[in-house]
Amino acid sequence: MRDLIIIGSGPAGLTAAITAAEHGLDILVIDEYLKPGGRLLGQLYEEPGGNWWNGIEESRKLAGRASSLGLDIRLGISVHNIEQIDGSWLVHADCETFETKSLLLATGAAEAPVAIPGWTLPGVMSVGAAQVMTNVHRVKPGQRGVIIGVNVLSSAIAMELKIADVEVAAIALPKTNQVNGKAANPSEVMNALLHVSHMAPSPLVKMGSKLMTNDFMKRMGITLYPKNGVRMWDIPVMLRKAVIRIEGTDQVEGVTLATVTAEGKIIPGTEEVIGCDFVCIAGGLYPLAELAALTGCPFYHIDELGGFVPLHSEDMRTPLDGLYVAGNITGIEGAKVAMSQGKTAALAIAKDHGQDIADTSLSEAVRQISSTRSDAHIQFHSEVEAGRRKLQEYWEQHAAGMRNVMV
Amino acid sequence: MTDRDMIVCRCEEVTYGELVDTAGQFACNSRELKLRTRAGMGYCGGRTCRSLVDAIALAATERDVTQITLKYQPPVRPVHFGDLGAIPND
Amino acid sequence: MTERILDHPVLGVLEPDQTVTFTFNGMKYEGRCGEPIAAALLAAGIRTLRHHEESGTPRGIYCNIGHCFECRVEVDGHQGVRACLTPVREGMVINGGGALPSPVRDWRKDNA
Repeated sequence: MRDLIIIGSGPAGLTAAITAAEHGLDILVIDEYLKPGGRLLGQLYEEPGGNWWNGIEESRKLAGRASSLGLDIRLGISVHNIEQIDGSWLVHADCETFETKSLLLATGAAEAPVAIPGWTLPGVMSVGAAQVMTNVHRVKPGQRGVIIGVNVLSSAIAMELKIADVEVAAIALPKTNQVNGKAANPSEVMNALLHVSHMAPSPLVKMGSKLMTNDFMKRMGITLYPKNGVRMWDIPVMLRKAVIRIEGTDQVEGVTLATVTAEGKIIPGTEEVIGCDFVCIAGGLYPLAELAALTGCPFYHIDELGGFVPLHSEDMRTPLDGLYVAGNITGIEGAKVAMSQGKTAALAIAKDHGQDIADTSLSEAVRQISSTRSDAHIQFHSEVEAGRRKLQEYWEQHAAGMRNVMV
Repeated sequence: MTDRDMIVCRCEEVTYGELVDTAGQFACNSRELKLRTRAGMGYCGGRTCRSLVDAIALAATERDVTQITLKYQPPVRPVHFGDLGAIPND
Repeated sequence: MTERILDHPVLGVLEPDQTVTFTFNGMKYEGRCGEPIAAALLAAGIRTLRHHEESGTPRGIYCNIGHCFECRVEVDGHQGVRACLTPVREGMVINGGGALPSPVRDWRKDNA
């Protein structure tokens, strides 16, 4: 039996593994993917100040550190079930079952789609798929693409495609229907973009500072927004055009766009077809918490964190003995926050294993998560801190409830 | 292709029209919508379409923030029958 | 047709790797040893990896990280293998699945 099994070798899982190994724990890391690094692998962006955040390089550094510590990392293994039996955890993978005292779930996030007629055609892929194809496998997803869904993730990946010399013909909204929600509403999307102004097209931001003042100005802003979009890194960002259909018989041949009102209603007669050989669907990320959900761990839906998240404390403990979480499973944030969460989780685990971890180093690690969060260049949700506070309140309510039960 | 013919659940090929009609007719929550249409019950286990199915159900029902809509069931990845009886070795 | 990104302004030059030969639906292709099947096929211009079991509609990669199973193919006789996660190896025999007969559904249509 291991001291600790970590599921997920992304920024949270690898950082946790390194920290826990430094404290002498016997660890196994499992990942479904064929390389370590998780979502870190595809990331590539320029930070304010001109440094490049190169996720492949960061993954390599983490994996290098892990291998110098002799960590056992097994790739290409899918976990399909976990269960707690007699105080230990059983991790059921493809053809083997592993047993461990402590289990850290660092399974990251999955992509949520927006649905557009034609989105099952070959050549339509999630925006993250295009990122991985381009930056990790170094194969162009196509010659010319259209990205459906305007958000932080899609803007960042549009730029990455551009750097790799893949043409992005447009980033546009999805059409309005019952499943696409706010992602199809120009005013809502504009509002969300203005909160992440460093990622939004700069002309928009210049307009934005004025537009933020009141609702009337916001409505004016989207009404006056140029129909053919504002260019960001030379890619048209279209907030007044929606993709209403993906065209093609055997694979993607183009998309049909239409101009929409400030509320996202299609203006008849404005349809136009543009050619492309691939389409990216960008509906955002949600915490991939399926394994935690199998354990009976309490869950809460918190919009600001991207969906349902397992209940956990600031030091990444869940209410279940020996079960911990770190990274995007706890809410959608950047890789640096995930790393600091991984470190914190590992310290909490080492402490629970009787290692000499001072309370001050654990509280310092918790504090480090907050400071990393406030320094983050990319914030997926403007109100992420409020989301974290909500979860902390749930945790305190839960802890108080448990105390009452014990009395 | 019209909106009604648009596929929502890619695995089971459940259409938008079918989901919206079913939700309208029975005022379903996500779970009932899934059971009536098979959306989210296919090969991927609903990882791709769950947010879409939720969105349709939430038009008719309130979200309970403490209950995961579309409960997860093991195995969360498809498993060959031959692998299910594996013996612990570690 | 897509292409490989041999020289990237930030990530640098793609290191040469061993070439492997494999078949997909009976045709011969080359890939870089260890890259996922889906990447090797896309670099060869192949987007359609399978056809839906019931409707026969064409499907390719969607999530590219193992979540959606849209890219599942048969590899050396094993079914349900994710092309986005599985490294391509020398001599691999890969087949994309197609529409399957659906006697139960057909029977229900006529009798139920």
